[in-house]
Amino acid sequence: MGLRIVPDLYLTMLDAVSNDRARLNAALQEISTGRSVNSPSDNPAATAALIENTAQTNNNDQFQRSISSVQGVLETADTVLGSVIASLNQAIAVGTEGANGAISPSQQQALAQEVQSIQDTIQNLANTAYQGNYLFAGTAFSTQPFVTDPSSPSGVSYQGNNDTNKIQIGPSQYVSINLPGSTIFTASGSDVFQALHDLTTALQSGGNVAAALDEVHTAFNNLNMQRTFYGNALDELNSVNNNLSQQQLTLARETSTLISADPAKAASNLVQAEYTLNAALSAFGRISQNTLLDFLK
Amino acid sequence: MGGLSGTLGIAINALIADQGSLEVTANNIANANTPGYTREQAILAEQQPVQIGNLLFGEGVVLQSIQSIRDPVLELRIQQENQIQGQLGSFIGGANQIQALFNETQGVGLESVISQFFNSFQALSTDPTSLPLRQGVLSAAQSLVDAFHQASASLQQIQTGLDQTVTQDVTQVNLLASEIAKVNAQISSARVSGQSAGALIDQRTQLVNQLSNLIGLNITNNESGTYTISTENGTPLVVGVQSFTLQTQMDPASGTQHVYFNQNDITSTITEGALGGTLQVRDQTVPSVLNSLDTLAASIVSSVNAQHSAGYDLSGNPGGNFFTPLTGTAGAATQISLTVTNPAQIAASSDGTPGSNGNALALASIENQPIVSGQTATDFYAGMVNNIGSQVSFADSRQQAESALILQLQNQLNSVSGVSIDQEAANLVMFQQAYEASAKVVSIVSQLMQTTINMT
Repeated sequence: MGLRIVPDLYLTMLDAVSNDRARLNAALQEISTGRSVNSPSDNPAATAALIENTAQTNNNDQFQRSISSVQGVLETADTVLGSVIASLNQAIAVGTEGANGAISPSQQQALAQEVQSIQDTIQNLANTAYQGNYLFAGTAFSTQPFVTDPSSPSGVSYQGNNDTNKIQIGPSQYVSINLPGSTIFTASGSDVFQALHDLTTALQSGGNVAAALDEVHTAFNNLNMQRTFYGNALDELNSVNNNLSQQQLTLARETSTLISADPAKAASNLVQAEYTLNAALSAFGRISQNTLLDFLK
Repeated sequence: MGGLSGTLGIAINALIADQGSLEVTANNIANANTPGYTREQAILAEQQPVQIGNLLFGEGVVLQSIQSIRDPVLELRIQQENQIQGQLGSFIGGANQIQALFNETQGVGLESVISQFFNSFQALSTDPTSLPLRQGVLSAAQSLVDAFHQASASLQQIQTGLDQTVTQDVTQVNLLASEIAKVNAQISSARVSGQSAGALIDQRTQLVNQLSNLIGLNITNNESGTYTISTENGTPLVVGVQSFTLQTQMDPASGTQHVYFNQNDITSTITEGALGGTLQVRDQTVPSVLNSLDTLAASIVSSVNAQHSAGYDLSGNPGGNFFTPLTGTAGAATQISLTVTNPAQIAASSDGTPGSNGNALALASIENQPIVSGQTATDFYAGMVNNIGSQVSFADSRQQAESALILQLQNQLNSVSGVSIDQEAANLVMFQQAYEASAKVVSIVSQLMQTTINMT
C-alpha cells in the first residue's frame, strides 16, 4: 500500500471555511463601521498616535474657546478707547476755541465746564466693565480703577494695578489680553486726566491754555498708540484662530488615516473573502460524497 | 493433524479470524467520526504448522491481536502545542479585558479626562475670577479622579475574576489527574491479562490533551503501559496508578490564590496551559498596568500640587495642595482625591491679585511638561495603551500560527490513525470473501464427510 493520505479532510476544510468567514466578517465590519482599527490590538501604534492626536485636537479646541471668550473683552476695550479718542478730539476742539484770545471770560467758563464734563465722560468710559470685570484695572478687575480723588493733582486716582494677563493660544504661544489703565490713561507725561484737568484750570483761571492743549495732544497721541494694542491682539487672535481651524482639519484627516477603513481596499478584501469562502464551501460540498462503499453491490 | 477433520478445523478457525477482522472493521467504521479514536487493525498470523511424517502441514490462521495504529511521537507533539495554545487562549482572554478598559479607538479610557482637566485651567485663565469656570475645573478634576478610581477598580476586578479561574483550573487539573490515574490502572490490568487496551489509551490521550490544555506537562511512558505525568518543574500529577493533588491557597503578600504542592509554592513555575496564561495576566500584565496607572496618577498629583501651592486663591491666600498628597506611588490610582472642594480655593492667581491668571496658565502647561518618566502625561498614557495592544496583538498572531501548526499535526496524525472509509470498505470485501471461501471449505468438507459416511 502506498503512502496513507489524510482520510478525512473535514478538519482542514472546516478550518479553511472558518478562516475565510473570519476574513469576510472583518471586511464587513470594516465597511459597515468605516474603521479598520477597533481596539488597540488591531494596530497598537496607530492607537497611540490616535491618543496624541485626540489630545492635540482637544487642546486646539480649548485654544479656540479661549480665543472666542476673550475676543469680546478685547473688542469692547477697543470700542471704548475709540469713544475716549472721540471725546479727546472734542476736548481738543474746545481747547483750541479757548486758546483764541478773542473770547470772553464767561465764554471761557462755559468752555471749562465743557472740558470738565468731557473728563467725566472719559472717566466713566475708563471705568467700563465687561461681564462684571473692569476693563482697565490691570488684573485687579474687581476694583473700580478710576475714582474721583480731590487729593490727586488731576482729581482722579488710579486704583488698579500695573499687571497684565496672558492666555495660551498655541502649544507655546501666548497673547496678552489687557493693558493696565495706568499705561493707557495715567502714564506719566501723558496723563489724560491731568491734561484735561490742566485745560479746565487754564480756561477757568485764564492760564496758559495753549500749554494745556499741548498736554491734551500728548495724552491723545499716547492713547491712540496704546489702542493699537487691542487692534493688534484681535488681529493676532483671528489669524491664530484660522490657523487652529486649519490644524483641526489636518488632525481630523490624520486621525481618519490612522483608524478609518480604506473603502477601496476594504471592498476588495470583501470581494476576495467572499470568493474564497464560496470556493471553500463548494469544495466542502464536493468532498466525502463518494466512498468505495457506494460502488460495492 | 491431518485428515478431513483437520481441514474442517482450519476452515472454522479461518471463519473465527475473518469474523474477528470484520468486527474490527465494523468498529472502525462505527468510530469513523469519534474524536480521539485511533483506528484498529486485526493482526492475523499463521498457526504453528504440524509435521506429519516428513510433511509440514499449515494449520490455518489465528487472530493474534487487535492493534491500535498510533504514532506516539505525533501525539506528544500535539499535546505540547496544546499547552501553548491553552496558554495563549487564556492570555488573550484576560488581556482583552484589560485593553477594553483603554480602548481609545472607541473613546474609552483616560485621554479625554486628562485633556479636559488641563484644559479647564486654560478656560479659567480667560476669566480667572469666574465662579462657573472655577466650578468647571473642580468637575474636570473630579472626573479625572473618578476615571483613575474606575480604571484601577476594573483592573482589580479582572484580577479577582482571574483568581477564581486559577482555583477552578487547579480543581480541574486535580480531577483530570485522578481520571488519568484510573485509566492508567485499567490499561495496566488490560496489559497483564493480554487484552487490547486501544479504547483505554484513546480515552487517556483525550484526558491528557484536556490536561495539557490547562497546564504544561512532562510525560514519560512506563513499561506497564502507564504514564507518569508531571508539571513543567517536575511536580508529579500522575505516577502510574497514583495521582497527586495541587492545592490553592491565598498568598498573603499578593492577596491572590497561589498554587501549592506539599506546601511548596509552585505558582511561578507554571507558564504553559490555560493556567499559565491566566497566571501571566493576573500576576504580570494586570500589576504592570496598575503600576503604570499609579505612576501616572502620582505624577499628576505631585506636579499639580507643587504648582497649585505656588499660586494664590480667590481670597489671596496661598494655594496649598490641590489633590490630597499621596504617601507613595503604590495605590495612587485608587487613592487619588481632591483637597480643594470650594471653587474659590483654586489658585489661579500668581501674585495674590484675584484677577491674575498666571498660575492657572502654569497649571494648564503641566499637560505639556515631562512629568512622568521623562514623558508628558499623554505620551506616557499612549505608551501604556500601545504596550497592552501590542501584547494582545502579538499573542493573537502567535495563536493563529499555533492553530495552523496544530491543524497540520492533527492531519498528520489522522493520516496514521484516522479511519478511512475506503480502506474499511476494501477490508469489508476482503474479509467477506475470505469468510465466504472458508464457509465453502466447511461445506465441501462436510459433503466429503457425507460421501465418506455413505460409502460404508
